[in-house]
Amino acid sequence: MTEAGVRAALLAVHVPDELDAQRRTWAVVDAAYAEREPAPVRTRRLRLVVAFAVLAALVAAALSPPGRSVGGWIRDRVAGEEPTQPALVRLPSPGNLLVVSEQGPWIVRTDGSKRLLGSYDDASFSPNALFVVATGGRRVVALEPDGDPRWTVTRPGPVADARWAPSPGFHVAYREGETLRVVGGNGAGDRLLAENVAAVAPAWRPGEGRTTVAYASTDGQVRVVDVGGRQLWAADPGATPEQLAWSDDSRALLVITAGRRHPVFAAGGRPSGALETPGGQDILDAAFAPGTRDVAYSTYDLAGGQSSIVLGGEELQRGRGHLDDLVFSPNGGWLATGWPEADQLLFLRLPGVSRIVAVPNVRREFDPGGADPMTFPRVAEWCCRQGLEGS
Amino acid sequence: MAGAGRDERAWVRGAQAGSASDFEALFRSHWPRAYRAAFLVVHDAAGAEDVAQEAFLAAVRALDRFDSSRPFGPWLHRIVVNRAIDWARARALRREVGTGERIEDAPAEEREDPAAPLPEDVLVALASLSPDHRAVVVLRYVLEYTPGEIARMLELPRGTVNSRLRRGLDALQGAVEPREER
Repeated sequence: MTEAGVRAALLAVHVPDELDAQRRTWAVVDAAYAEREPAPVRTRRLRLVVAFAVLAALVAAALSPPGRSVGGWIRDRVAGEEPTQPALVRLPSPGNLLVVSEQGPWIVRTDGSKRLLGSYDDASFSPNALFVVATGGRRVVALEPDGDPRWTVTRPGPVADARWAPSPGFHVAYREGETLRVVGGNGAGDRLLAENVAAVAPAWRPGEGRTTVAYASTDGQVRVVDVGGRQLWAADPGATPEQLAWSDDSRALLVITAGRRHPVFAAGGRPSGALETPGGQDILDAAFAPGTRDVAYSTYDLAGGQSSIVLGGEELQRGRGHLDDLVFSPNGGWLATGWPEADQLLFLRLPGVSRIVAVPNVRREFDPGGADPMTFPRVAEWCCRQGLEGS
Repeated sequence: MAGAGRDERAWVRGAQAGSASDFEALFRSHWPRAYRAAFLVVHDAAGAEDVAQEAFLAAVRALDRFDSSRPFGPWLHRIVVNRAIDWARARALRREVGTGERIEDAPAEEREDPAAPLPEDVLVALASLSPDHRAVVVLRYVLEYTPGEIARMLELPRGTVNSRLRRGLDALQGAVEPREER
């Protein structure tokens, strides 16, 4: 083979994803270039480029006691492999991140810009992230991407845990006191769905057009009902349920409990396995990896004061304090988690942890006007390549 | 040489002065080769994107200090290739996956010459080399640097570059020639 042949062969190699990679990279590099301009005038004040702040914040964080601790920990974790990378000017993977801070829910877009949607306590995306449903006080509010209310339902009592049904998104379920209610995706037809409901977020069964929802009842049972209120099945998880999570294929319902055993139920409530955690460890959060039956969960060791994130039986990360709020990117390639003790968000590249993107100064990021923000924001959801991306 | 020329120097000066369009021209001019070079060293699309992106970000950070009378390409490619080597070494240490698992083949209909070596054969042959060897091959045959230039970019003795090129060629020939004989 001649040198010319080698050259021709190398130039003939199909390089996958080149144009998309170019587009993504240009968004990042263009933003970085814009930020380097002297005293740039930004017309979009609400567009916050996360990593610009991150770059400065990294320095500050590295100098602060928790920052030094964090930096050391991350270096320990990836020693000899790859240095931790700052988030720079974008999310590490396409989609929109929903973060709920003391000020309210924020949408962080792929390019790092973010927008505060208003003063609400909790929020969740609609199926394609075209809207956000938020709760605050006695109101359930469907919001446009810019924060404008689309519709509002006001109830006599405090409401919480509003969740939008799968596409086409004709229903929204939410809790009011010890009841579960459902309202149409257009804000009409609000009605009672179930009583004696525990303070656990309802979980719609995934799948186009599905209208069944799982909830925890005050007697410790897990129940699945349709939007007409008809109970399809019920099961005893063995301990007080604290979180419900369906697999993407809708065939497995994981019930995180207050105990050590966290059962998985198949269709009809048939037990189909369980996640078991050692004594003395609390589960902080759990989620199925997109498109799989692999469960990611984070535990907190009460004695050691450490958290550990496990995915598919393999420990991904361990760190001092709490690694909370496990949220997968839409393509499953990244796992986001909050780290209050370090005031950081961590984005872990999967499989394994081939890369860590650390975003410091998170409290300040999501409470820019606050005097001394104390509450660490919650990473709620990471949704959808479409939807808000183009809006 | 890759990317050298009057236009490029003008783009660099314009970008230094704050011209976003000149900076974009510089980026678009260099992206295809930078990404291809990174991919051929790391054999992973996401990894190549990370590497190329970090190289361009490094360029942004250092843009004001860059001597616009010098060609931009070699400076960028040096960053790309060195980061790609680091990335590939790190992955080898982690033993994540076999290199062949992430190689994407060119669609058969894109092949104009059936006797030409299949791209996947070239990738497999490349994968049999160390990241350092792959980098030298890519710098020579994709980015078209001379052995002397490669030696300076990677801070290697020229003899080492030549021996790595020879070994790279041997590997590629060993993988491709049997197919050519069929």
